[in-house]
Amino acid sequence: MMNLWFYRGLALNFFQREINGRYIGSVSGIFWILIHPLALLGIYSFVFIEIFRVSLPDTGAGGFVAFVALALWPWLAFQEGVVRGALAVQNNAGLVKKVAFPNELLVYGAVCATYAVHGIGFLVALGVIALAGNALHFEALPLVAIFLLVQLLFTIGLALGFSALQVMLKDVEHFLTPFLMIWFYATPVLYSTSMVPVSLQQLMSFNPLAYSVGRIRDMLLHGSGFILSDGAFLLCGGLVFVFGQWFFNRLSPHFEDFL
Amino acid sequence: MSRPLIRMKGIGKSYPLVSSGVSRLRTVSSLLLGSANIPHYAALQGVDLELMRGESLGLIGENGAGKSTLLKIIAGVVKPSDGYLEVNGSIGALLELGSGFHPDYTGRENVFLAAALMGLSRSAITEKLESIIEFADIGDHIDQPIKHYSTGMVVRLGFAVATAMSPDILITDEVLAVGDESFQKKCIRWMENYLAGGGTLLLCSHGMFYIQKLCHKAAWIHQGKLHQFGAAGDVTREYLAYHEEKSALAFKQKRDGQKPSAVSQGVYAMRELWLEDGRHQKISRVAMGRDVLVCGRLHSPDERPPVIGLGVVKADGTPVYGTVSDIDDFKPILLAPKLYGFGFHLKELPLLPGKYFVRTHAMDPEGLRLFDTMECELQVTGQTRELGLCRLPHAWEGACGTATEQHQGK
Repeated sequence: MMNLWFYRGLALNFFQREINGRYIGSVSGIFWILIHPLALLGIYSFVFIEIFRVSLPDTGAGGFVAFVALALWPWLAFQEGVVRGALAVQNNAGLVKKVAFPNELLVYGAVCATYAVHGIGFLVALGVIALAGNALHFEALPLVAIFLLVQLLFTIGLALGFSALQVMLKDVEHFLTPFLMIWFYATPVLYSTSMVPVSLQQLMSFNPLAYSVGRIRDMLLHGSGFILSDGAFLLCGGLVFVFGQWFFNRLSPHFEDFL
Repeated sequence: MSRPLIRMKGIGKSYPLVSSGVSRLRTVSSLLLGSANIPHYAALQGVDLELMRGESLGLIGENGAGKSTLLKIIAGVVKPSDGYLEVNGSIGALLELGSGFHPDYTGRENVFLAAALMGLSRSAITEKLESIIEFADIGDHIDQPIKHYSTGMVVRLGFAVATAMSPDILITDEVLAVGDESFQKKCIRWMENYLAGGGTLLLCSHGMFYIQKLCHKAAWIHQGKLHQFGAAGDVTREYLAYHEEKSALAFKQKRDGQKPSAVSQGVYAMRELWLEDGRHQKISRVAMGRDVLVCGRLHSPDERPPVIGLGVVKADGTPVYGTVSDIDDFKPILLAPKLYGFGFHLKELPLLPGKYFVRTHAMDPEGLRLFDTMECELQVTGQTRELGLCRLPHAWEGACGTATEQHQGK
C-alpha cells in the first residue's frame, strides 16, 4: 500500500489516459458518455412500454423510463468496468513487459475511469428526471455515493481477478460477454425484485449487484435510509476487493512470461 | 556504503512451456497453489553477481544468451524463478526505447507518463520538464503525437526522460546504437558525467567499445549461465577471442572440406614450432611489448635448406603480418641430417592484447611451392583501450596545425 502511494502520480496518469484515450480522436468526444446509455434506455422503453405494454407495480412517480434509468447507469458502470478492467493488463502488454510498476494500477485506472464517466452521466440523468417533474429523494445522494463506491470496490476486485486470468487464459475475454448478459437479466434493472417469484428471490439475494442496484433505486425513489443488510453488502464489496487483489498479486509476477 | 548496490545469488529464470489449453489451465492452477512442477525452459541459471556503487557493469553474450532477461530481473520487470536478489537503490530502466509511450499522445504528455512510470510526482515532473525537452532537442515536435516521430526522435525523448531521473542505477539494453552521431556523443558525455557523479550503469551491448569505455566490470552470459565475470577489459577480450575462434573454426572446416589435409611423405615439412620469451622459456602467453622468439624445425627430404614462410594472424584468421625467409636472405641451419632449425625474433611485440596464431610454412628451396603449414597460439596480454591489431609507433604533437585546431582522441 505504501508502494501505491508512491505511485499515485502514475495512478492519476492512467486514470486520465483511460478517459482521454477513450474519446480522443472521436468527433462527438465526451458526448458518447451519454449516447450509449440513452440509446439503451430508448430501446428498453420502446420495447417494454410500446410492445410488451408492461405496467410495473412499484415504478414510482417517474414511470418506467425513470425506473429503469435509475438502475441502468450503476449497472452499466459495473458491466463496462469489468470488461475494461479485465482487458487492461493485456492491452498494456508493452508497458507491463518493459517497465516495472504495480500492474494493478492499470486495472484501477480502467475501472475508476468507467465509474467516473458513468457517474457523471448518472448525475445528468438524475437532473433530467427531476426536471421532468419527478420527485427524487436527493437527500439520499450521499448514501447512493457510498453504495457506488462499494460497488466500485466490488467491480475492481472482480476485474483484478479476470484481468490476471485473461493474461494466461485468453478465454476470459470471450466468456465475459455471455456471462455479463446473463448477469444483467439476473439483476433487477428492467424489473423490480418484488416481481420475482419468492423462491427465486432467495437466490437473487446472493447477487451483490441486484442488491446494490435495487437499493440505489429504492433510495432515490422512496428515500429509504441505511438498513442493517447494507452492512453485509459493504462487507461483500470489501471482501471481493481483497480477494481479487490477492489473486492478482499471486499471478502478476508471472505476467511477463505469458504476455 | 559497504552494502553492495546489487547482490544476486543463484538467480535463475525459467519460462513456462505452454501450448495447449489444458496445460495453460494446469499452469495457472499450479502458479496459484505455488507448486513448481510446470514444464519450463530455463533462460537463466545460477547467476551470482555482486556490484558495488559506482561499479558499472556491461553484459555481453551471444543473442539469446539471457542478457536481456538478466537486465529485466534487475529492473524488476521479471520475477526470478529461483535465487535471491537484493537491490539497494533506485532504478531507471530503458529496456526498450519508447516503452511506456503512447503513440496518440504528444511528446510532452508522454514525458509525464514515462516519468510517472518511474515514480515521479506531477510537480517533480513539471520542474524537470524544461531540462528534459532541452536534452531531447526535438524542437516543435514535442507537441506532436509520438506516432509521427522518427525512431531516432523517440529514442531521444526516452533517453532524455531517463537522464532527468538520475537514478542510482541506469539500465540500458542496447539503446545507444540509435540516434544520430551528435546525439550519441551527447549521451556518452552525459553518461560519463553520470558515472563520474557516482552513478552506476548497467549496459547490455554488442559494442565492446562502449563496454570498455563505460564499464568497470563485465559479465559474459553464455547459454543462460554466467560464464565469466571480472574487469571489463579482460572479459571483453576473452569474448572477442571466443568469437574469433568460432569464425576461424567455421573457416577452417570449410577449407578442410575442400582440400585433403594430409601432407604426403617425402616433401618439405614443418616438424616443430614453439615460442620462447627473452629467457628462452617456452611460452604461449606474453605481455604486449615484450620480446618473443619463434622457434621451429623443418624436415628437408633432399638435405637442401627449405624456405620458411612465417606470419602472424589474429584468432579469426585476419592476417597481421607475413614474410618469407628468402626476402631477408636467411637460410635455416642444419641441426641433424634432413633437419633444419630457425629462430625468428619479434622485438618489443607491438600486437594489441588478444589471441593470435603464429603460422609457419615449409616451402621448397626456391621459395615457389608451399608444402606444409604449422601454427601455434600466441596470447598477448595487457590493458589498453587501443583498437586494431597492432600499435603503430606514434607520438602526439601539440604544435601542429592552426591554433584553433585541437587534437582529438584520448
